[in-house]
Amino acid sequence: MIRRAAAIVGIGQTAYGKALPSSAWELALEAVLAACADAGVDVAEVDGMCRFTAPFETVTEAQLVRGLGIRELSWFTQAAHGGEALGAVVLHAAAAVSAGLASTVVVYRALSQSRGGRFGRADGRGPGGGGPDGGQPEGGQPEGDIVVPEQDNLSFAWPFGLMSPGQLFALWARRYAAVHGLSDEDLTVALGTIAVTQRRYANGNPDAMMRSRTMSLDDYRAARVISEPLRLFDLCLENDGACAFVVTTADRARALRPDPVYVLSATQTISPYREPMGIYAGGELLELFPPAAADRLFAQAGVGRADIDVAEFYDATSYMPLRSLESYGFVPDGRAWRYVTEQGTGPGSPLPVNTHGGHLSEAYLHGMNGILEAVRQLRGTAANQVPDAEVALVGAPAGSATILAR
Amino acid sequence: MAVVPGMSELTAPFWEAARAGRLVVQECQSCRQSWHPPLPRCPHCHAAGLGWRPVSGEGTVYTYTVVRHPTHHAFADEVPYVVALVALAEGPRLVTALLGVAPDEVRVGQPVRAVFRDVAAGVALPYFEPDAGRAAAQRGSLGGLWPAR
Ligand SMILES: [Zn+2]
Repeated sequence: MIRRAAAIVGIGQTAYGKALPSSAWELALEAVLAACADAGVDVAEVDGMCRFTAPFETVTEAQLVRGLGIRELSWFTQAAHGGEALGAVVLHAAAAVSAGLASTVVVYRALSQSRGGRFGRADGRGPGGGGPDGGQPEGGQPEGDIVVPEQDNLSFAWPFGLMSPGQLFALWARRYAAVHGLSDEDLTVALGTIAVTQRRYANGNPDAMMRSRTMSLDDYRAARVISEPLRLFDLCLENDGACAFVVTTADRARALRPDPVYVLSATQTISPYREPMGIYAGGELLELFPPAAADRLFAQAGVGRADIDVAEFYDATSYMPLRSLESYGFVPDGRAWRYVTEQGTGPGSPLPVNTHGGHLSEAYLHGMNGILEAVRQLRGTAANQVPDAEVALVGAPAGSATILAR
Repeated sequence: MAVVPGMSELTAPFWEAARAGRLVVQECQSCRQSWHPPLPRCPHCHAAGLGWRPVSGEGTVYTYTVVRHPTHHAFADEVPYVVALVALAEGPRLVTALLGVAPDEVRVGQPVRAVFRDVAAGVALPYFEPDAGRAAAQRGSLGGLWPAR
């Protein structure tokens, strides 16, 4: 049982920006140092690390140990699937400290899309040139055919021009509208409400990249279509930056600070074709998140949906928080579009969502900035503070999530 | 320049059939279930004896997106193009692109049929285009097959 056995005692982040002067390695060091300082622990005491697998995380434990003079890690691991493993990195860290494999675990995410290739470009093209997919610098002359490797069935999708997450989530959003009888206008208003609400949160968050850029629903509608039905502001930001947090045992957490944030539960899940961005499922494609995983998340936490005061949902696109309201059981299937349109997710709504601005308007850190925001909400120090927030859910749409509490 | 599928022993039969203008899906020789994309064994009965079954090429649009902003330079001159998941009449779904239809006229539930186009030397891909005959028959039936929009 993970419940209240481990806690987050420190959070740290760098500035977020379109193209920062630092490498991902430098950004990682800065965020880890900040998280340790916030926790009140000497970075040399860190004895465990957990991160996403490459290519989602390219900075290795070895680089951090070397770069920070950490004496020794007695435990370290990686979670597959990037942002879809959002709860998994918390789960592994909490399990490790509970089992006594390590006492001070750092979880981190650092990225430099300006140098390392853009997730929104299948060819990796960015201001700094080639990306993880072997892309070529902008302006470079492509030569010859591109042969798509077989990994993860990409060879059955890329040749038809299905190459980026935004396009995949457009397929989901279109299916959602068709199955539940939404008009194009219904879908536009629902997704636009999410995008505009998150922008308003970002306008109140001094760390958000979009802190000074306001957006109305008319602005949202006027933006260019990227992959129908998704417009520019339905898609996440692309940026550089890093986040880190420190997990330790509950006892040690209480000794370190008066306001530890406890891990009530954390999950990961995979079943046939219910894979991150998997599209070959038999049955209904929309059921990406297995309902059993959501029920397990709440059962292990010992709380119900009504106990959640604030949710930070992974939002590579605006469709994902919409569907997450349903897949985590806050709203019945097929109702979230109407719920969002009528009740919203802003301050004072039944469930404030992505109170930092999310990936759409704060910054894109593979969900790690959502975990940091949940910690701030539960400490009572968030820029857009939800009054008396006691329990928070941070989750990705394909089934990895965590419930945290003060 | 084209984007072409990498092939292996496992997947080459699909692409070789496409080059010959045929659409096939993997089929278990023991329990006769079929699926796509191919797998090393039958996921239902775990038999290793698998074959390839020709399918009719008839299907319906399960979902789609009109890509207006290319995310890869290879498709810079192709936009707008329509990516779709097509549910084959025989069950499995596959990723494809739709040809011969205006982006604004694509609908979820629309009947489509496979067509093959060469994209590079020795490589043909299965695309889909509207199946006017089945669409007319569908309109004449009791309806309800096309989800409300
Ligand atoms: Zn079988």
